[in-house]
Amino acid sequence: MSNVSVLALKGIYKSFGGVEALSGASLSLERGSVHGLVGQNGAGKSTLVKVLAGIHQPDGGTIEIGGHDTPHLTPHRAESLGIHFIHQDRLLAPTLTVAESLYLGAEPRWFGLPIIDRQRLRRDARDVLQRVFEIDISPDALVRDLSTAEQKIVQITRALLQNPRILVLDEPTTALVRSEAEHLFSAIDRLKAEGLSILYISHYLNEIERLCDKVTVLRNGKDVGTVSPREVPAAGIVAMMIDRKVDALFPKRTSVAGDPVLEVRGLSRDKELSDVSLTLRKGEVVGITGLVGSGTKAFARTLFGLMSPTSGEILLHGERLKPGSTVAAVARGIGLVPEDRRNHGISLDLTVRENATLASLSRFTRKLALLFAKERAAVGDFIDRLGIKTRGPEALLRNLSGGNQQKVVLSKWLIHGSDVVILDEPTVGVDVGAKVDIYREIRALADSGAAILVVSSDLLELTGISDRVAVFFRGRIVAERQASNLNQDDLLQLVTTGQTAEKIRNAAE
Amino acid sequence: MTIVYRFGLVIALLALVVVFSLFAPAFLSVANFQSILFNHFAILSLVAVGMTLVVASGGIDLSIGTAVDMASLGYILLLAQDVPPAEAIAAGLLLALLVGVFNAGLIATLEIPPFLATLGTLFIGQSIQQLATDGGVPVYLIAGAPRPIFGLVDSARLWLVAVSLVATFAVMTYSPFGRKVLAFGIGPQVARYSGLSTKTLTLKVFLLSSLLAGVAGIILSSSVKSYAPLSGNAYLMDAIGATFLGTTLNATGRASIIGTLVGVLLLSVVKNGLLLLGVSFYWQQVVSGTLIFLVLAVSFSGKSAAH
Repeated sequence: MSNVSVLALKGIYKSFGGVEALSGASLSLERGSVHGLVGQNGAGKSTLVKVLAGIHQPDGGTIEIGGHDTPHLTPHRAESLGIHFIHQDRLLAPTLTVAESLYLGAEPRWFGLPIIDRQRLRRDARDVLQRVFEIDISPDALVRDLSTAEQKIVQITRALLQNPRILVLDEPTTALVRSEAEHLFSAIDRLKAEGLSILYISHYLNEIERLCDKVTVLRNGKDVGTVSPREVPAAGIVAMMIDRKVDALFPKRTSVAGDPVLEVRGLSRDKELSDVSLTLRKGEVVGITGLVGSGTKAFARTLFGLMSPTSGEILLHGERLKPGSTVAAVARGIGLVPEDRRNHGISLDLTVRENATLASLSRFTRKLALLFAKERAAVGDFIDRLGIKTRGPEALLRNLSGGNQQKVVLSKWLIHGSDVVILDEPTVGVDVGAKVDIYREIRALADSGAAILVVSSDLLELTGISDRVAVFFRGRIVAERQASNLNQDDLLQLVTTGQTAEKIRNAAE
Repeated sequence: MTIVYRFGLVIALLALVVVFSLFAPAFLSVANFQSILFNHFAILSLVAVGMTLVVASGGIDLSIGTAVDMASLGYILLLAQDVPPAEAIAAGLLLALLVGVFNAGLIATLEIPPFLATLGTLFIGQSIQQLATDGGVPVYLIAGAPRPIFGLVDSARLWLVAVSLVATFAVMTYSPFGRKVLAFGIGPQVARYSGLSTKTLTLKVFLLSSLLAGVAGIILSSSVKSYAPLSGNAYLMDAIGATFLGTTLNATGRASIIGTLVGVLLLSVVKNGLLLLGVSFYWQQVVSGTLIFLVLAVSFSGKSAAH
């Protein structure tokens, strides 16, 4: 195969509401190669894929497909030019059979009449799966009865039937177990040998090493380099992914960890959590991180009573917390700033005041009646303290920006006076200015004696605001360190592989 | 134009008053106004406000008429057995509350959607009434029999309605409970993520709404001095109509007590005015239905134009 570029993205710019997601990202895919795309969360990978798919129009830059400039790309145009996408989430109808899914809209006809030749449909389906993946899936099986890997394979096969020139795989292994992933890898090898060009997006560096000829690293919306993973070791790629400039985003660690406030012992839940123990202390910010499905979310949700553990216990100030009850959690002084702000954190049709006092109405009640003036005064104080940009306590949340809405969620728990505050991805969809305010408030909250748990997949944020960091991998805590003796390389290594670089080296020797 | 969109309901009400005054001379009189209050507004307002609470909490109560009926059933049957009125009233209200508890149990504990849960209650309530009255024979209090302090007099009835409405309005506007219901109705998940007990809220909402329906049942049966099975059910559709007409007065389309009361007034005026004009009873529903279409269409077209 020669070095012909089948796809070239050149200097792509894209911003959303003043926040730049891509600032001059370039990438070039050679014919018949597997090209990796890596970067931390928020580096711009998914935006770049969406630009390529024609879902987002770039603000600047050019897209060349097969050597031709293709402005005004639409999803339909991208497909007709031979680019097919396998997105993270499954997009097959669960009640169709395998054969029906594969040939949906292009079923073989019976003697050219508008009647589906079911015999041939089933035979063709079996053949194509056998030929491409060397796998024996019944063409009559329902999609919903297949394993996730098999569904992924059906999805890829369906794309292959359209004779694509380029296949884009976005995190294809997130829901797969190792043996299933291995199946997918050998299929990718075979497709590559047949001359297909593949763009492979993944968090897992070992997959990149296993599959890719080249890998492009994105950081802050720009490509920082394209290297061969066979020549540059994983640690080198990790180093490229991390922004070395630690800026003045984060407040100084001022608080001293005091007595334990929340003690979690041996918490387990099905496959999501196994034997997790962690202690939060007064005045301390503890950060937890891990890949999707690593158990960080399940842990936070279980602490707040949104899910029940199958075993283990949670002690708050030494006393057992009733499991699986948000009412008990809030009554005992636990607050949660949820990740899905719009559905769980705030009501857009309530006012700033009504949102902010919702968890602590008893504090604003005397003789069965609400004290509106007291409410307004308290909320007004927090508007000033957090710098919430709004007309005032009576403004509808609908009229606030994302960052200011998030500050209202934070004030809900500040007003509540929670001893334990859990923040789940506190700065997703929040602009940089509001981020700094939120970080400062998290630290101030810890200084005032609360115990804080931050769930974040932004590693820079995590090490920046935490005193202590715990890394989750497949439902377990695999490392717990003081944030000050943790470097970004080790952390990323732990998150993606569950092991330290040291351990991997020792195992190799 | 925005005024028409926002206050279409009030404009429709005023227009009706003008039209009826012009074409039915008897309409504009104190006596007729009292008739509207006693015969139409009093009972429907209680039932519709009960419905409004449930709708504001994000649900619907198809069995609210059943609670009305159960209250009259208990009250009249006991009075007929010479039970003292106070005890008969208490028993009637208790039966109505039972309907609310039953609904709340189905919705909060078994997590059946409110529409289906209350539909089931409606069916069961119908059967109970038919079984208790040999297939639907009304129970009359024997006329002429010497019966001290039977039921309530007219003015006492109106006072009872007024006190119930004002109390409910106060609870929904000034108490933490009212705020929680509002938050729960708009964003049930946000309420849950704020540590509110959504089960307790559902129970309280259904208790309060069935209590209002129960009061309506007592007033209804004490004014007609009888219990006719399924007569409370007749208020169900008007209550839903009034509640949703009322939502047009709110900028964000919420159910509100004031809005509902304006809706009740509109429906009451329509019934009374058409009666005075000599329009056949069977045409009343056509006019009510058309008015509901008109008000909602104007309000929604205004909302979509604003976006």
